[in-house]
Amino acid sequence: MAYSIFDDFRRAVQNEDGYLLASTITPRAPEHDGGRLYDFYRTTNHYSVQTDFRYAIVYNNTAGLSKTEGNHWLEVYVVYWKAIGQLRVAEELTNQGKDKEAEWNKVYDAWRDVANALIKGYSSSAFPAWTIPCLYVAGKYLRAFAIKSDAAAAKFRKNTTFNAGLQDDIAGAMSTNEKLEDAARQINRTFSLCISDRAPLEESRKWGVYYTTNLLFKTYFKLNAIGLSKNILRSLQATKTDMPPLEAFPKSHQVTFKYYVGVILFLEEDYVQAEENLTEAWQLCHQDAQKNRELILTYLVPCHLLTTHTLPTFELLAPYPRLQELFAPLGQCIKRGDLAGFDAALAAGEDEFVKRRIYLTLERGRDIALRNLFRKVFVAGGFEDPREGDDRGQKIRKTRVPIAEFGAALMIGMGHTQERMEQEEVECLIANMIYKNLMKGYISRTHNMLVLNKKGAFPGTGI
Amino acid sequence: MSGSGSTTAAPTTKATVQDTKDTSEPAVPQKPAAALEEDDEFEDFPVEDWTQDAAGPPAGTTHLWEESWDDDDTSEDFAKQLKEELAKVNRK
Repeated sequence: MAYSIFDDFRRAVQNEDGYLLASTITPRAPEHDGGRLYDFYRTTNHYSVQTDFRYAIVYNNTAGLSKTEGNHWLEVYVVYWKAIGQLRVAEELTNQGKDKEAEWNKVYDAWRDVANALIKGYSSSAFPAWTIPCLYVAGKYLRAFAIKSDAAAAKFRKNTTFNAGLQDDIAGAMSTNEKLEDAARQINRTFSLCISDRAPLEESRKWGVYYTTNLLFKTYFKLNAIGLSKNILRSLQATKTDMPPLEAFPKSHQVTFKYYVGVILFLEEDYVQAEENLTEAWQLCHQDAQKNRELILTYLVPCHLLTTHTLPTFELLAPYPRLQELFAPLGQCIKRGDLAGFDAALAAGEDEFVKRRIYLTLERGRDIALRNLFRKVFVAGGFEDPREGDDRGQKIRKTRVPIAEFGAALMIGMGHTQERMEQEEVECLIANMIYKNLMKGYISRTHNMLVLNKKGAFPGTGI
Repeated sequence: MSGSGSTTAAPTTKATVQDTKDTSEPAVPQKPAAALEEDDEFEDFPVEDWTQDAAGPPAGTTHLWEESWDDDDTSEDFAKQLKEELAKVNRK
């Protein structure tokens, strides 16, 4: 049991098993071996760690490592050991309810040393590419510890300040994410390590590109610095020809990437591209990954509404009660042309929508609701009386509709909560519909009528 | 994404707080909230890769999107409402 981590290390090296190797420097004990980190820490102490590990890795070299590589791994494990020490202290304090004393910033700093040691190993070409999952672990926990550290710092700041409310937020805003910003920089270095590797594909770190990209996306999102993601996308675009296609990467990398790219595009209002990415993410996403599927839909539904003017079916949302709660009322109001209901539903979900940054997009759904309301007016108007020469049974709807009828419809749609609109206002709304291609026709001022196209008065709706 | 080891010891700590609202605990599984979970962050998948038959919406889900208008809504009803509304105007 004593050196089980190094047994795994040797085995990993012999079998070129990157994930096994990564597990040896993962700061989280596996479920089947809950005391592993603690045991590992106890095998040595600050005075002997260097010597003990050197023996285990460099001298006891059954794995056949080069001296250089051995020494790099030595450094990694020594700093890893120190990081575990810090982690344990913080965890124990937390478990004892003394979380205010837990120094997560030290844990972060110690982990950063681990990341640094790994980065050095790669940039000096000591570590082969199959060991790349180690960089994944480095990046993943840089984020995790940074977030914990920043959260603890924020809490501390909150508890020691005498000013409540706004001022605290503004003052704190500048440095609330100190460690996470640093983590972003470190992960960016791992990204560069991957993307700039010139080795042939079979031995290339390029296979780590999307994992590290995804880590960066997650970090930028958390930092509310989504714009920085564009830099990454530009770098990826620039090296496209040298890289294997996205489809060659593991599905987890692909789906995560497509989700984030989809959301980034969504936030830039490039809804067509966003939809493409989100749909692909949806199709590829593992069927059991409930939360991720829910996340994809959260953006795909509003996106789809705008690009295709269609709504999610009950079937689509059935597995996601929270999404049903959010989207179903809006959908029903859109269908019915219930403007007042739409506004109410939008307001009711406002907090959630804003949080997810989909409020503005959903708001545009009101146009569809309005279109549907006006469409009802058209349908209610019925058909022209058949005239001589018309095809038998070919009924044509009345295409000349008084503006007043639309005005009346608006009163109904708004649940009679509003003052009657001026005719110009109604005409303005109609003009907008026509401009947006949701209706086709022209306004006849002299007759106070809207003259709709005989064919396709309401494009895409069958009439 | 947890930094806490899964030792036999105790439960993890209560939420640490960022900003003014209660936000997700960074390294600890989120408690289900009344609304959407605060975190819009993609979770790690349980496996790294999978085949297409383990992907996508549940088998048999064919009808995903539907038209945004409703022809079922009886237009007679609406026509009546419209007439009434127009009558109100003319009365004025």
